[in-house]
Amino acid sequence: MVDADNTQLNHKPSADTFLPLSRVRTIMKSSMDTGLITNEVLFLMTKCTELFVQHLAREAYMASCAKQSNDTLKYEHLSQLVNKRKNLEFLLQIVPEKIRVHEFQEMLRLNRSNASDDDDESCTESESDDE
Amino acid sequence: MVERIEDLNLPNAVIARLIKEALPDGSNVSKEARAAIAKAASVFAIFITSSSTALAHKQNHRTITAKDILQTLNELDFESFVPSLTQDLEVYRKMVKDKKESKANNKKDASTGDATASSSSAVVVADSEEAA
Repeated sequence: MVDADNTQLNHKPSADTFLPLSRVRTIMKSSMDTGLITNEVLFLMTKCTELFVQHLAREAYMASCAKQSNDTLKYEHLSQLVNKRKNLEFLLQIVPEKIRVHEFQEMLRLNRSNASDDDDESCTESESDDE
Repeated sequence: MVERIEDLNLPNAVIARLIKEALPDGSNVSKEARAAIAKAASVFAIFITSSSTALAHKQNHRTITAKDILQTLNELDFESFVPSLTQDLEVYRKMVKDKKESKANNKKDASTGDATASSSSAVVVADSEEAA
């Protein structure tokens, strides 16, 4: 898997962390009924989160920027990746596809061509009308 | 308990550095993309924590172990992280062990009034005493 190779690439095992352990501990504690957090678990979670940050950035970049020989990683690339990958499903509400809203509004507008166009700018009214 | 929601954010500078390290030289990251990655990372940590906790509870353990986390990663389709993390964990465990040993040695040295205690171990001990 290309994926695995990338994560392995230029990885040197190390006991140092970049992210602050105390912050990661706070985040872990915010999850319900997390019991005691040992130093070892805290270290592992911090490392794991660091790997995730790099994994997410690299995958999104590879999927969009590298192909288009574009060198800027944008929000859209991330939301596209989240939409595509099964293991990133848990981020669907965190990194939603922005384009979808516009498309959705466009669809709404087309569907109800008789509706007034006053609230073009305000995205607040997005009452969904299924079917 | 979390008092402020900002307490769940990871530091921007560190996130930016990690991203930069992962991408080829000369590539840029939009502010929005960086913020999204930072948020995603927090959610990832919570997600893995609660999944590992659930796994530990299923085995009638009250606290999560490193093994629970690694197994959770496998189950949640992040198995590509496991080899690297396993290596890191080995290094970490060795470091903790060395720390303990040098602390014990240093205590011995101190009790015999040995002034030649190696400076390197003295630093490590100072570190761990701070944590204690």
